[in-house]
Amino acid sequence: MKVFSLFFCLVLLASFLACKKDELVIKPYVEEETWGFKIPSTFPQPDYKFENNEQTRLRFELGRLLFYDPILSLNNTISCASCHAQEHGFADHNVAMSTGINGVQTTRNAPSLSNLAWYPNFMWDGGVNHLEVQPLVPLTNPLEMGESILGILSKLNASSFYKNKFKEAYDVDVITDQKLLQAIAQYTSMLISANTKYDQYIAGKVDFTTSEKNGLTLFRNNCVACHTEPLFTDFSYRNIGLDTISEDLGRELITQNPTDRRKFKVPSLRNVAITYPYMHDGRYFTLSILLDRHINGALDTESTDPFLLSVSPLSPTEKLEIIEFLKTLTDFYLIGDPQFSQP
Amino acid sequence: MKSNIFIFSIFLGLFLSVSTSCKKKTTEPTLEPTPLAVEKGIVTIDLSHKWGFTNQTDFVLGTDLIHPMTNDTLNFTTFKYYVSNFKFKKADGTWYTQPESYFLVDLSTPSSLVLTIPDVPVGDYTDVYYTMGVDSTRNVSGAQTGALAASNLMFWNWNSGYVFLKAEGTSVNSSTGTFQFHLGGFSGANNLLTEKYINFSNNSLTVSANHTSTAFLQVNPGWLWHSAPSVSVLNMIHMPGTDAATMALGFYTNNSIILDHIVE
Repeated sequence: MKVFSLFFCLVLLASFLACKKDELVIKPYVEEETWGFKIPSTFPQPDYKFENNEQTRLRFELGRLLFYDPILSLNNTISCASCHAQEHGFADHNVAMSTGINGVQTTRNAPSLSNLAWYPNFMWDGGVNHLEVQPLVPLTNPLEMGESILGILSKLNASSFYKNKFKEAYDVDVITDQKLLQAIAQYTSMLISANTKYDQYIAGKVDFTTSEKNGLTLFRNNCVACHTEPLFTDFSYRNIGLDTISEDLGRELITQNPTDRRKFKVPSLRNVAITYPYMHDGRYFTLSILLDRHINGALDTESTDPFLLSVSPLSPTEKLEIIEFLKTLTDFYLIGDPQFSQP
Repeated sequence: MKSNIFIFSIFLGLFLSVSTSCKKKTTEPTLEPTPLAVEKGIVTIDLSHKWGFTNQTDFVLGTDLIHPMTNDTLNFTTFKYYVSNFKFKKADGTWYTQPESYFLVDLSTPSSLVLTIPDVPVGDYTDVYYTMGVDSTRNVSGAQTGALAASNLMFWNWNSGYVFLKAEGTSVNSSTGTFQFHLGGFSGANNLLTEKYINFSNNSLTVSANHTSTAFLQVNPGWLWHSAPSVSVLNMIHMPGTDAATMALGFYTNNSIILDHIVE
């Protein structure tokens, strides 16, 4: 009997030891609450697949440290979070243009960050084709963080703190740009917005007010061609007829194709109510003005999206109802989740 | 007592076998599942850079070189380019493809001028195929390492993609006194990827077990201006497009890389 209980204990202990490590491995979505990247039930398959960058908690925490650390900027004053603040839906602090190192002004509005793992490309002009290489732009742009990759690597490799962290997370003795970028992607890929009032309404967990319901109907009749549910963007580039004089040529800078003149990526509308001002240059500060100009006042330029010109104007009541609906896209879970906050 | 020890050792055995049974299943997939041991050797490609069409001189950074077609005086400070995806062809038509073969040739780093391809199966090879540039897959697959690391400063951050070739320097013929050509492009009309090959004709390249065979090649950067104009007309290229294509393809598609000799 004694022998058998000993046997039993040993087998139990053995299986525990054997399987403990597997807990951090990325797994397909399951109902129980375990930490890790999960595809929300209403979402499509993500673009980012953690290839050569298997998700672990240590790597995520390292990415989080880096996201908040100004060591990544030339004069150690600005971090990613400086312009992508959690309480603002990972957009800037309600300013039109962000401020880079030494007070220089950037040329475009810092976008809100969420559901980045589903993005086929990045930036207002879509110039960046992969989540991992996106940080290269703000890190090295002289108007943003202004640092060089070699400068960052030399600072990180001179830090015993970061050398230990990268050793723990990636088992490397020397910090490389690949590991730096992969660690940041571990964090940014986890900024998932799928638990707004809208999502809960779709899941049948809460009810909408009459205005919100009317707003959703109006939205589906007028907006989903570009702001497609559930990500609220179709990732296309469109000229929405803002003007014919601004210098920023948008997508044309990447494709060199004049038909892409002043086209910008359709932004997701998740957290839209708290991430004003709007448009690539932050020209509109309220949803009301935005709707007036965007839906009711698009200019007929040579490459304005024809759909926008055909949309019938919104009445004042319809405008208010759409705004009520847009407010349901604020993700209080994402902007309050402590696992994403400054470490 | 003895039997107790016997039973205990059985349980200990069970314990060990169970405790190792569900370890992480992350063993690296083997690229070449070769059940039989194949004898392998090493091939090195030794690049020397020349300038001029007749009366060739060595291509050396920091010296004045006169281009035979444009008559520009060019003094190069940087000359770097990617060579990738080596494939070896035998007379019987079979191929050996070298995985992960990406090389950044950098004239300021002498060690980068010898490309080492290990683990080539022994045999007589009639041709070596390789690609000028970095294949489109690696241009769209996120953060890379080694020759493809962004820290080599051969990646366009704002318009994702590799700079396949970087030629920079000074010239009295340029209105700014300098020239900067960053050439690349992997898709659509801007695709510069070009496969080239070295043909050993009757004199095949023999790879022997645990032995290094070397092909000595001569590279002539002057072909960049085969169709591109003088630096007095065009002194800067910073993105994929027609100018990049004209210049890069002059170098990529012509007889710019020739076999000098082989040592086996």
